[in-house]
Amino acid sequence: MRNKRFNFSFSLLPFCSGIVAILLVSYIGLIAVVMSYAALTVEFSQSVRNDESKVATLESEYLASVARTANTNYATAGYAKPLTKLFVRVQSATALR
Amino acid sequence: MRAQFRSRIRLILSLIVCAAFFILLRLYFIQVVQGHEYVQKADRQFASGGNGVFDRGSIYVVRKDGALISAAALSTGFLVAINPQTLTDPEAAYAAIAVVASSTLLSHDAFLAVTTKKNQVYIEVAHRLTDEDGRALAARAISGVHVLHENWRYYPGGSLAAQSIGIVSYGSGDVLAGQTGLEAKYDGTLSRSGDLLYKNFFAELFSNVGNLLVNAKDAREGNIETTIEPEIQTRLENDLAKVNERYSSKESGGIIMDPSTGAIVALASYPFYNENDLQNVDPTLFGNPLVEHVYEFGSIMKPITMTSALDAGVITPETTYTDTGCITVDTKSICNWDSKARGVIPMQQIIVQSLNVGASWIATRLGQDTFREYFTRLFGQKTGIDLPNEGHALLGNLSKPQQVGYDTAAFGQGIAITPIQMIRALGAIANGGMMVQPHLVSAVRLDSGIVRKLDWSKKTPVFSATAARETTQMMTALVDQKLEGGKAMISTMSVAAKTGTAQLIDGHGGYFSDHFFHSFVGFFPSYNPRFIILLYTNDPQHVEYASETLDTTFLGLVHFLIDYYQIPPDRGFATTTPA
Repeated sequence: MRNKRFNFSFSLLPFCSGIVAILLVSYIGLIAVVMSYAALTVEFSQSVRNDESKVATLESEYLASVARTANTNYATAGYAKPLTKLFVRVQSATALR
Repeated sequence: MRAQFRSRIRLILSLIVCAAFFILLRLYFIQVVQGHEYVQKADRQFASGGNGVFDRGSIYVVRKDGALISAAALSTGFLVAINPQTLTDPEAAYAAIAVVASSTLLSHDAFLAVTTKKNQVYIEVAHRLTDEDGRALAARAISGVHVLHENWRYYPGGSLAAQSIGIVSYGSGDVLAGQTGLEAKYDGTLSRSGDLLYKNFFAELFSNVGNLLVNAKDAREGNIETTIEPEIQTRLENDLAKVNERYSSKESGGIIMDPSTGAIVALASYPFYNENDLQNVDPTLFGNPLVEHVYEFGSIMKPITMTSALDAGVITPETTYTDTGCITVDTKSICNWDSKARGVIPMQQIIVQSLNVGASWIATRLGQDTFREYFTRLFGQKTGIDLPNEGHALLGNLSKPQQVGYDTAAFGQGIAITPIQMIRALGAIANGGMMVQPHLVSAVRLDSGIVRKLDWSKKTPVFSATAARETTQMMTALVDQKLEGGKAMISTMSVAAKTGTAQLIDGHGGYFSDHFFHSFVGFFPSYNPRFIILLYTNDPQHVEYASETLDTTFLGLVHFLIDYYQIPPDRGFATTTPA
């Protein structure tokens, strides 16, 4: 009967140390990636909100100008009603002309 | 061979150690060397109050060319909070904050009082700083003063469609939520869950991969697209304000709707309020009288009575009756507006001359059961409009055996209806007898990118198309022959309309003889209408009839809509007509 024996061609300790080091670096790397991703997402989201807020300000100016136009009395501004209005017949919707 | 392998292992290990050293070095610089800068940056990203920075979907009004304009959006800026435990110089801090936030900052005494609360670490002292002011204050790096990102609800139109858009407030809880209008009705779509703005991808990967791939929120959260057209809404509000001020009315309101779809393009009730400044607003204004309140509308009910009778077949347009000017029903006297008798006249004159005796005669011809059946079908249920707190019509008189209740209901007294129910019922006449579902929101634009059109296609047949058309002819004759003495007639556009003047109840079981509710309804082009307009003004002073208060406003709106939408002529086809 012959004893069976496992022979390693290299030392187990450096191998395990390497694995641990790789896992450690990977862990730190993952944390860095997640934190960077989170920070960028928050910043991007806030940046979108800031842009939307600027658009809302412009929309506010537009709506104010619409209200100003609706409130304008054209007669006092020197404008007169048109003497005539021209109408045309509504065109047929068919494509066969 | 073994030596070669070892050297490779050492090489790999040294590379790993170098990488680890590099990361550690980088961490040192981030946390120690540039730590202060990042702390400030993190402070600005800090979610105040622990609930995250306020976020909410937008409400859009849609211009006629399809452009979306925000009616409710988010505004961004900064808030200022203090930490009494680390605040070293309250006076200097107050002076610095007051420079950029004088309008929203606590008073000097109140500020100094909160700085003494040393058991607290976070007290907000000023809000809604602009981006520039917030960054300027943050740059001063005052100890114990934190400048944090803040979002708040902003309404670009101010008072535009305020009652329809609604408001957001804390209500009974500590979460901002829609309280009135579309903000409340579509709160589920507009509100954003309290989740952080980002996801930890790896944590989600291991714990909740399903949610990462298919997010249920994406199918719910979004922005809403209304049917309100901003220029028409502005015009309607402007006109209502003028009517209300001119006649010192208690309130005035109006709705403009597409009668074939139920899409409301404008809906307004005066007095208005500014949604961006709610501090001094009377809370009763937050409601929407157009869907919540009921009114006795008066003679604009006559077209409905007429159409019901035509549909039931108890009369035809050629039917005549003898108008005596006044009649007595159940010991109550019912008279025409001028108490004058007209003799034998056809049905059309009941609408054209607005004859109460004629409307009562029709109610009698219909019979109580049939009359109740029609009016219950028209007003017995809520319209289902997408606004909260819709009111019920008061139809109690139609459950009693006294004929006078039916006779007065025939000309719009003794029963009370919400304006939105009224325009829906009158819209059935404009829409060939089909009653549509009034609505304000046409689509939900989900955050996932999908635009979900809402289905408002449900239609309820209430009248035959023939009966609706015959009543429309009568209402068109009113505009062509009677309104403003016939001068209101538009030679190239048929317009159908009816005025209504109702006496207001005096609170003692009777009616005032000198206080009125004026209403006006009309649609055009008469036989293929694009719009139906309902206007009212409550208790106008020193004026008796709706034809005096609202006809100019109605006709102005008709001409505005014809021009704005370039609605082609439906009659006359003159190439040149006087303006």
